[in-house]
Amino acid sequence: MGEPLTPLIGDGARKTRREGTHLLVRAGEYSCALPLSAVRRVVRALTVHPLPGAAGELEGLAEFGGEPLPVLNLARLVNASPGANPSYPVTVVVWVGPVEGREMIGFTADAALEVVHVPPESIVAASDGGFLQGEAPVGGEVVRILNLDALGH
Amino acid sequence: MSAPHAAGYLLVRRAGGVWGIANEAVSGLARNGRGYRLTVGGEVLAADEILGVVTGLRVLPPAPALRRFWPESPAGMAVHGGLPLVVVDPLRVPAALRWNEGEDA
Repeated sequence: MGEPLTPLIGDGARKTRREGTHLLVRAGEYSCALPLSAVRRVVRALTVHPLPGAAGELEGLAEFGGEPLPVLNLARLVNASPGANPSYPVTVVVWVGPVEGREMIGFTADAALEVVHVPPESIVAASDGGFLQGEAPVGGEVVRILNLDALGH
Repeated sequence: MSAPHAAGYLLVRRAGGVWGIANEAVSGLARNGRGYRLTVGGEVLAADEILGVVTGLRVLPPAPALRRFWPESPAGMAVHGGLPLVVVDPLRVPAALRWNEGEDA
């Protein structure tokens, strides 16, 4: 999971390396792309301790590396219908917010799928300009591209 | 916000979570049925279990994600013994900790 995808495209001596830009994860009915630069680690789903009264997006607090980690439900954040019971649910630990004030949070997801290259020009921007940056075709599927900076604001 | 870096914290379990309350803010603690009744900052709180008192807790400010998706205003968050916990602001106690009339904790 830690190696960027670098498929070779072209032939002969003219080979082009297309580095992975996003981590693709399954969240309910959707596939979501998280910027690789923000992903710190993908781990088996962490034990989450609920916070009574929290919005549905906030699953609770977990422990990660000796630190408290707020854990958000990615499917709820993107308004995805729940999928089937995942066989290997994960917590994706990411940085959110601007560099000078970034925070570490976790996303629960049904599965980590692969590292993909999403060209910026392929992204159809969302209208709200918030957490959902837009959508892009990836491998024959339309995936949701997430803007993690927006979560830290 | 008060007492985010107290000398010691009383750790309690309540509503499925672990909570830390600065020692100096706790003015009363009594067994009540299966649970406990605490007096903190003039308010009566309930706890399902008393986990102990800890010192040297490293309290971090509440993450923006907490403030965004949780209406409470904790003093901070921390980890003790592998358990994440919320550090309570004695002046703004989370609703889940408040004693409910007629409650036999």
